[in-house]
Amino acid sequence: MEDVASLSFLAATIAASWRLAAPLIFASIGEVFSERAGVLNIGLEGVMLAGAFAGFAAAFTSGSILLGVAAAITAGVLVGLLFAFFTITIKADQIVVGAAINLLGLGLTAFLFRAYFSSAGKGIEIAKPVDLPWLSDLPFFGEAFFRQNAFVYSTLPVAALAVFVLYRTSFGLTLRAVGEHPKAVDVSGRSVALYRYGAVLICSALAALGGAFLTLAHSNQFVEGISSGRGFIALAVVVFARWSPIGAFIVSLLFGVFYALQLQLQAQPVLFLPYQLFQALPYVMTIAALILVRNRVDTPSMLGVAYKKS
Amino acid sequence: MMITRRGCLGSAVAMAALIAAGPAFAEGAPFKMGLLVPGSISEEGWNRIGFNALKGVEKELGAEVSYVELQQNPASFEKAFRDFASQGYNVILGHGFEFQDAALEVAPEYPDTVFLISSSYISEGNVIGLNTDTSQPFYLMGVIAAKTGRKAGLVGGMEIPPIKEAFEGFTNGVRSVAPDFPVSEVYIGNFTDATATKEASLSLISQGADFVLPNASGATVGGFQAAAESGADVKTFSIFSDYTSVAPKNILGLYVADYARGVIRIVGDIKNGKKPATNVEFGLKDADVMKFTYNDQAANPVTEDVRKYVDEVKGKIAAGEIKTRQK
Amino acid sequence: MANSESGQPLAVVPQVYGALWRGLLGPLRTIIQPAAAVIVALACGAGLLAFNGYEARAVIDVMVLGVFQDTRSIAEILLKATPLILIGVGLCVAFRCSIWNIGAEGQFYAGAIAATAVGVSFDGLTAWIYVPLVMLAGALAGAAWAAIAGLLKVYFRASEIVTTIMLNYIAIIMTSYLVTGPLRDAPAAYPQSARLVQEAWMPRILPPTRLHIGILVALALAVVMYVFLFRSTRGYALRVVGISPDAARYAGISVPRNIMLSICLSGSMAGLAGAFEIAGVTRRLFQSISPGYGFEGIAVALLANNNPIGAVFSGLLFAILRSGSELMQITAQVPQVLVLVIQGIVILSVVGFAVLRIPSMRPSE
Repeated sequence: MEDVASLSFLAATIAASWRLAAPLIFASIGEVFSERAGVLNIGLEGVMLAGAFAGFAAAFTSGSILLGVAAAITAGVLVGLLFAFFTITIKADQIVVGAAINLLGLGLTAFLFRAYFSSAGKGIEIAKPVDLPWLSDLPFFGEAFFRQNAFVYSTLPVAALAVFVLYRTSFGLTLRAVGEHPKAVDVSGRSVALYRYGAVLICSALAALGGAFLTLAHSNQFVEGISSGRGFIALAVVVFARWSPIGAFIVSLLFGVFYALQLQLQAQPVLFLPYQLFQALPYVMTIAALILVRNRVDTPSMLGVAYKKS
Repeated sequence: MMITRRGCLGSAVAMAALIAAGPAFAEGAPFKMGLLVPGSISEEGWNRIGFNALKGVEKELGAEVSYVELQQNPASFEKAFRDFASQGYNVILGHGFEFQDAALEVAPEYPDTVFLISSSYISEGNVIGLNTDTSQPFYLMGVIAAKTGRKAGLVGGMEIPPIKEAFEGFTNGVRSVAPDFPVSEVYIGNFTDATATKEASLSLISQGADFVLPNASGATVGGFQAAAESGADVKTFSIFSDYTSVAPKNILGLYVADYARGVIRIVGDIKNGKKPATNVEFGLKDADVMKFTYNDQAANPVTEDVRKYVDEVKGKIAAGEIKTRQK
Repeated sequence: MANSESGQPLAVVPQVYGALWRGLLGPLRTIIQPAAAVIVALACGAGLLAFNGYEARAVIDVMVLGVFQDTRSIAEILLKATPLILIGVGLCVAFRCSIWNIGAEGQFYAGAIAATAVGVSFDGLTAWIYVPLVMLAGALAGAAWAAIAGLLKVYFRASEIVTTIMLNYIAIIMTSYLVTGPLRDAPAAYPQSARLVQEAWMPRILPPTRLHIGILVALALAVVMYVFLFRSTRGYALRVVGISPDAARYAGISVPRNIMLSICLSGSMAGLAGAFEIAGVTRRLFQSISPGYGFEGIAVALLANNNPIGAVFSGLLFAILRSGSELMQITAQVPQVLVLVIQGIVILSVVGFAVLRIPSMRPSE
């Protein structure tokens, strides 16, 4: 009996970890694209909020989650265009613009939410878990992996697609070159700016999707500041993952594990430890992990540097 | 210099009239109430409760009202009190214990203004604490949990008095029925992350809890979603607002705090010149403030036996025979 | 690079004109750009308000004029500006060394914790000793908290962007533990520390307002840091590391030492800001003592183009906007979050104008 209980406990932890990791996976894979092209987008938090709000607003008014997703991606692309215009076309400092995007994202979503939805009270019908035939009924594995909603499942194809695009297509090759040797790309007749625009738009669309996950597939409501710092965590994930999409997936998952674990450990009254100790666990572990892996220097060499044609 | 500055403003700013009026605000002037909340009023939760009280006063007492959200920023509290008081507001409600210090600082300068502080026991001059003793209804929920379930899980936002007191009441209620009944507590560390409340609740459920109770202001709703997704065996209780639509099968009943009723009563007295002599404590004895009802649509509604027992306990709490928490 | 400097000898411009240009128009043009940016931002804010059915004109009037009502409201602005200026000035130093310290929020908390621990512990000290002691505790704690990220960067090549973000969370959680545990005010049920001993309170400089000596310290440190960064060899070395670590190494400048110096300096300023907030304003420690000063400070530094003197002005600007937004909500019930939108647009306008070739506010290198 005890064994079964602890096995199902483990399965529940795995399932929770994946769910908690999902928004981070979307946002950090997006950031991988952007940073690989040499654009540091610290405005992820603002983009996620835009996605969370737009997704909620559209789903609330239309009743369709798909429309919510479309709206979130649109909002992400719009914010991405703003960011790209300032950082790529105008060549403004990326961190400055990113900070502004964060402020705008938090402020605008909260303002609009109050203006149009705050008295609505009710939430939306969120994405339902999708049972996969046969797989979902597996003992242990079913509960751990195969009772998630479509958003959570989609993190797998998104990660795979990201790997394919970045490493197996000429677009990806050029995109990475833009982050390392923009001059070479320029000389070969391709537009550095265009590729950077592409990377930033992919980044913000994915980050917005990560935000939309929060309102469309996890909680059913928009709350001001609902991203609760996930955009910043995603930035950390990217560095920790050494700018690899698979790495971003795994590190996000790791973060999810620590977070799920801290929630479960807190609930064990026998431990008699202050609950704050567990709350700090994900953050302490991230630092510990950074020390253990001893980051090699494989930062894209042109990260954060605007490209000026000479 | 000051006068010209004010004159200047007078032509440009509508509010100048308020500034110039100063403290000499007496007969004929409208009765005014201001509200300070520590967070956003746009979410269902603590801040909304304060806002509803303000709106109630506006509607029923015909008061002029205004509010300001202070984003958990202690540095702004004193100024906000002063902004209201200097504009001749008669009552200012600081919605949370954290406003107490600032109110005490400002209050002596504005003896004609009454400073009400939510979730506080203060009673010093014109600073009056108002407390809704949530440990009482939570005690009842604890009794129900222990009578109907195997293990209870509580999910709190941050460890602040209104939440700690509620959880203490719940645990005492549980203990009164079954001393060994397990109760776990988890704090998510904020009041905004509804997904964290949901995951914490799911985690408690996976650890065997069949009665989960979220209490995290704006993030509370996540707990009810977790219950709804975990099947009809998981029971919970709708608190502060009516969340029945989120988990109709799981919610055994509703505890709705109509803080507005209480505040309207107190402010009405103040308007009529009767300032409360001491701090005010709302409890189950105030049936207009604390409403405790059952949801018959639940998959496992509370049985008649249990309801009868709960009513008994409720009567004893209202009469002061049962202490729901240590004072 | 530095085209005004190299352009001058070419033209036959009289020395007097050059001096006049630098002495008079120089400061003027540094002001034009942010001023225009603020106007654009307010216009956008007004547009947003009008679009959503508010009396935009009246609201903006209240916001802009209302905050300068009287001595008290001006004092309140300076009070709000104090932590923003301190953090912003500190971050100028870190950012000039290309150390992306996102952790001012955590360093602020660390300073607040240390100031509280010191401020509640001693009896019988005179204010002459106690006040500097509290300030020192805050600054040291902030520096120490930042030093963790610095050491991790120097010894483990751990990105300070990551570690400072994580340290923010840890400091905030630690505060929550301390005020519900060891530092909790015993008689009260509230999660807050005891009140600081009165001798540890920051002296007020403009009674009856709450304005305390923190603003003077902040202004003085802004000047000190400006001189350090732009007029001293150590500051020069620090900036070289920021521009090119390779060049610095080649020139025999120690990169690790400058990384530690810059991050500790910025951490100490954020910690000092935390100490001032505790000993000057709230007089106790709460769970959420900062409404995000550390993050706003980043914007303050960046808006000032990482110039400590500029940070004084951008800090003031942000404080005025915050004060205005509170007043705006009280008088016109406009959601305060609007101020975030306005701040965001101010920053974007500043970088936008910079492209329009309005002479840049970049200090001559």
